[in-house]
Amino acid sequence: MRDRSATWALVLGLLSLPFGILSPFAIWSGSRSLSRIRGSQGTLHGSASAMIGLLAGLTGAMFLIGGVVFWLFMS
Amino acid sequence: MKGLLALVLFVVIGFITYPGADVVSLTVWLSHPPSDTNPAVQGSLAWLHVEHPPGKTPFIADDQKRMVLLHGAIPGGLIDFWSGSDHAKTGAPPFYPIDPAAYDGRCPQNFATVKVPPLCQQDIDEMAAMGFNSIRLALTWSLLEPRRGDFDPLYLDRIAQVVGWAKADGMYVILDMHQNAYSRFVGRSDPPPLPDGRPADMWDNSGAPAWATITDGFPSETYSGQRELNPAVLEAETNFWYNRDGIQSEYIATVATLARRFRDDSTVAGYSLFNEPMAGWNLPPGFEDLLLFPFYRRVIDAITGVRDGLPCLTQVFMPAVCGFPDAGVHDLRHLFFLDTGLLREVTDFPTHLGLPVSSYPNLALGIHPYTHGYTVDALVLHQPPDKATYPWGGYDQTYSLAEREARAMGAAVFVTEFGNDPRWDPLILANELAEQERHLVGFAFWTWKENCAVNGNSWGIYDPIDCQHDLASPKPVSGCVRRARGQMLERVYPVASADPNLAYRYDPHTGAFVLRATSRFGDGPTVVSIPPDVTGAVSVSGAVAGEPVVSESTSGRTVTVYPGGGQFSIEVAAAPLRPAAAC
Repeated sequence: MRDRSATWALVLGLLSLPFGILSPFAIWSGSRSLSRIRGSQGTLHGSASAMIGLLAGLTGAMFLIGGVVFWLFMS
Repeated sequence: MKGLLALVLFVVIGFITYPGADVVSLTVWLSHPPSDTNPAVQGSLAWLHVEHPPGKTPFIADDQKRMVLLHGAIPGGLIDFWSGSDHAKTGAPPFYPIDPAAYDGRCPQNFATVKVPPLCQQDIDEMAAMGFNSIRLALTWSLLEPRRGDFDPLYLDRIAQVVGWAKADGMYVILDMHQNAYSRFVGRSDPPPLPDGRPADMWDNSGAPAWATITDGFPSETYSGQRELNPAVLEAETNFWYNRDGIQSEYIATVATLARRFRDDSTVAGYSLFNEPMAGWNLPPGFEDLLLFPFYRRVIDAITGVRDGLPCLTQVFMPAVCGFPDAGVHDLRHLFFLDTGLLREVTDFPTHLGLPVSSYPNLALGIHPYTHGYTVDALVLHQPPDKATYPWGGYDQTYSLAEREARAMGAAVFVTEFGNDPRWDPLILANELAEQERHLVGFAFWTWKENCAVNGNSWGIYDPIDCQHDLASPKPVSGCVRRARGQMLERVYPVASADPNLAYRYDPHTGAFVLRATSRFGDGPTVVSIPPDVTGAVSVSGAVAGEPVVSESTSGRTVTVYPGGGQFSIEVAAAPLRPAAAC
């Protein structure tokens, strides 16, 4: 069975690339889904989606924070 | 397989959104600015550029590296406004003649059926006589490129005619790619099919030609009395930002055509690339960071040839990472004025991250401080300016934050537009001008002359004409100068100074002026413009070399002070202002 949080993580992660404000939700969903899948003894699937959602969320957060830090530092 | 698809989506979306945009901005920031290898062209006015002092806000400077303040107004006579008395007839031809011959030693007649009077040589002379040293000349894409790929040489000649008049008066010209509510060809849905909408009032709309106005059948009706809150306008703007049918590329070609014509003319200070850009259906900060400022980068790429973005196809959507091919103009001398997104006028607060735009160094961030005119206190809370509860930082907020934005972007700050209902001049205009003095930014005032009072009052420096009676008959070009407004805008100000940290203050009620600056020996002179109405005596004290040189012309007095190394001050004594001439 597919873990629904994995799909949510993927969607939120991809959306966090243009809308960085969503990145915390993607990171939270992705981490939660990955830990649930790992603890499911193989009954839950979707680890690739959860991982990419998490990665996208982290990327979105990194570039949002980087942009804000640049703005604060340079201005 | 699904994992692979997700990975591909991650890479593609990352490439076209913030990660890609941030990487390009970082690359731009780390790039060396291009050097101008073209043979120097001697203009009649000094070439302007942007100086970048370390840790300070960049500023507009002349060839002696002196800070230059530009003061001027925005005439609307070259804008392709809708005209007529029947709003159902939306496709009216351009109202005023485009052929410069119609303005040679004469001026076409004015009518109340169009928003503004014609722009003639007398207007430029009157601006110079007010002590203005610049004009933001508002132009329209629909007249530059009325048919796709077909640029109108006659309109370029007409622009050159006005630039020539300005040159004769020693004034700079900012060529402004003006638009409001995208285009006057968005149509008009009457009766409006959507609830609570009102038929669009075509009076204010201008910008894109009909062939570049893609509304996808959305109704053209307005909400909350705002011309921009119109589904057809929002759709057309969105299509522009996503380069539907290659229209953004055509716009860039249009600006390149304009730049090619004025490449060697120092009278042209630079190009205002897009007036009051509206997001369409997009939201900030993505609109500005991913669509608007990358678009500016592409225009700069095309005109300067700096190649900051990646090579991309130009007839489809160009994401933020995309640059634009060199249009062969190789103009590395003019300034580019980059207006912030329109929403910033409502917030008086940055609506994006402020990332570096281009490795080309001569950039100015254009702000439109309409505090208490279009900010949320006025638009949403409907508060009168003297009882407004926003912005919390007062009139200073938009200027202080613009300086921070500009430093992050590597740009100077310039007020490309501001203005207000004249009834609020003692409050709004006085405060805006005081902030501009404090922050050492120049301005372009909206507007020079406006024919009719549409929603309350006209905003021109001159009184409006009679628009109630006998619409078919010719009218005078304007009423009289609004005396109080004229006195506030005709200011004593430093036109150029080697000290970018100077402080000055002008009191329009008494004519008193004081400037304090510091100089190094050998710096270029500080030049102060005193308009004809100000009659007070000039005095100079401190470290100056020799006596100040005072020259007189129809534009008033010009005081030139040569610094001797150290602190000095220039003062104009309080004295009665010259009475208004008969009108």
